[in-house]
Amino acid sequence: MTTMEDKVADRGAPSRTFDMVRQAGSGDLSRLAVLVVLVVLGQIITPAFLSLGNVHVILMAVAAIGIMAYGMTLVVITGEIDLSVAGIAILSCVVGGLLIPTGSAVLVIGATLATGLLVGLLNGVLVAAIGIPSLIATLGMLGISRALANIASGGQALYPEPIAAYLWLGRGAVAGVPVPVLLLAILGVAAILLTRYSTFGRALYATGGNVRAAALSGINTVAVRTVVFMISGVCAALAGILECARLSYINPAGLEGMELSVLAVTVLGGAALAGGSGSITGTLVAAVIIGIVNNLLNQMGVSIYLQQVVTAAVILAVVLPGMWRRGIVK
Amino acid sequence: MSAAGLASPSASRLGPFLAGLLRDPIVWLIVAIFAVGSLTSEYYLTAANIENLMRNIAVIGLLSLGMTVVLLTGRIDLSVAALMIFSVIVGVVLMAWLGSVIGVRWLVRGNTFAGPTLAVMGIALATGAFVGAINGIGVAYLKVASFIMTLVSLTALRGFNYVLTNGHPYYLKSPLFNWVGDAKLGPVPVSFAIFLAVLVALIAFVNGTVRGGRFYAIGGNEKAALYAGIKTARYVVLAFVISGICAAIAGIVFTARLKSVDAPLAAGYELTAIAIAVIGGTALSGGVGSPWRTLLGSVAFAAGLNLLAIWGVGTWYQNLAIGIVLILSVGLSKLSRKKVQS
Repeated sequence: MTTMEDKVADRGAPSRTFDMVRQAGSGDLSRLAVLVVLVVLGQIITPAFLSLGNVHVILMAVAAIGIMAYGMTLVVITGEIDLSVAGIAILSCVVGGLLIPTGSAVLVIGATLATGLLVGLLNGVLVAAIGIPSLIATLGMLGISRALANIASGGQALYPEPIAAYLWLGRGAVAGVPVPVLLLAILGVAAILLTRYSTFGRALYATGGNVRAAALSGINTVAVRTVVFMISGVCAALAGILECARLSYINPAGLEGMELSVLAVTVLGGAALAGGSGSITGTLVAAVIIGIVNNLLNQMGVSIYLQQVVTAAVILAVVLPGMWRRGIVK
Repeated sequence: MSAAGLASPSASRLGPFLAGLLRDPIVWLIVAIFAVGSLTSEYYLTAANIENLMRNIAVIGLLSLGMTVVLLTGRIDLSVAALMIFSVIVGVVLMAWLGSVIGVRWLVRGNTFAGPTLAVMGIALATGAFVGAINGIGVAYLKVASFIMTLVSLTALRGFNYVLTNGHPYYLKSPLFNWVGDAKLGPVPVSFAIFLAVLVALIAFVNGTVRGGRFYAIGGNEKAALYAGIKTARYVVLAFVISGICAAIAGIVFTARLKSVDAPLAAGYELTAIAIAVIGGTALSGGVGSPWRTLLGSVAFAAGLNLLAIWGVGTWYQNLAIGIVLILSVGLSKLSRKKVQS
């Protein structure tokens, strides 16, 4: 891919590694600083801010976005992007939802996750094997999956009420911890282990840093990128289940524009769209920051539309520091 | 893609230009769409449908033209759809407020705006240029990646749109809005004429001047362009300002046709604009593409959708077709290029 080579050439200064470390450092610090300030601010504004109930509310609100963002982070680390996550989530849930009359939880949930995996595989083949820029391939896939979801369901909402296990995923709790929050934590730990301590994780960063060098050093970059899109697809499908179970209905026109929110969380988490950097911890912190900001604004009675403006400002505030030291940025 | 196909028409290069045109798949795609359309539907080539087609091309074409200039520099502008609505809303709200200051009620019963239209349009254009400049400065001088910078402005502008309108549509009532939205100059709708004027201006600037050529230089190799003495940052800002102005013009044309402006309008149009530019052959990596080719892209896109609509194909099948065509058009060109290389 010439794009990747150009980018690498542009950043090819000898001190690149140090630059990256320094930037990651300042980024992480500013993110943590923002988080601490927000928590203190929250406690001052509302005394019940750090109560267990409110913490659960905050985490519940960002569980689906956070899980999607895990998948997106892996994709972005390899230097690609996945705009199709919201479409995959809806299509998967509709495919699973069509099996609700069977009454089998395994079948419904299994079909949902399998659809996510399959569409992710398709994304991976289009991007890694055929070489279509991921922005285009997944943008097309977003349209296709949304369209298929509406065609398959006839535009009608589906109701997962007969499947108890399905609803439990969105509304249940284990030892007082809501299941979505638990999943956010478990998948977070799994993804951190995967990115930090596995060969696959190293291959991710290597592929994103310089795809040709990674390929020459024996990494199967086509397989790495394909797997990453498959993981993103499954994460999207699971997040879709959480949302549909929480609302207890599957709306084929739902999750409108969620891909951009997920992307915002990923970017806020420090993953550079050029690839080769980013971390799951950063993404998790970013998701919590967004959750807290929205929670505080809700408690202060700020309209949901002004919340969008504030969210945008928060992203800029976290992303800006350290930026001007960079060379050419596209 | 041949060099001839990328160039804009000019008298001295007309021969090779026409030859390149005949080798261009998108030209044959457009010809095929019109041929199939005229064979399968007696309505396809009627004056009424062509007129409808031209109105459709005008809005998405204007957005894609601005997007093309930004893509040429290797950047991307996700804020265009939110901006096209925002600029008109700012125009209406600002004029309504000015009216209340000088004691005239321009916002009359039923949220209808009946004040000076030309001022609204002027403010809309200025707003487009201003937001474009902010995007450009953020990208070129503060070094925020364009995808992030414009994603942030997309989010913020959508929020502002709701805040400024309180969630209610404004209705636009004036002869000038009616003229822009409905009138025709001979057989050509005014909106399409505006699009053509912007197209010609952009072709003249981007493909006809040294300064315009620098967009290609920056997109091709930014470091080389910088070392060659081009003030790349200024040109990046300029590209975003052009995109912002194009978005504002698209907003004016779009809302004039609807006679109203509402916050949730045009959601997702930014992705359509990218798709059209890419179908027209503009590369996301920068340096390849031209306004002229984006015209072909928008004609192919609008004509194809129009044909599906005439066939009675449902909206969702249309969206399905857009997605498949987008992936196929880029995928096939990738595969054919791979074959040439090997």
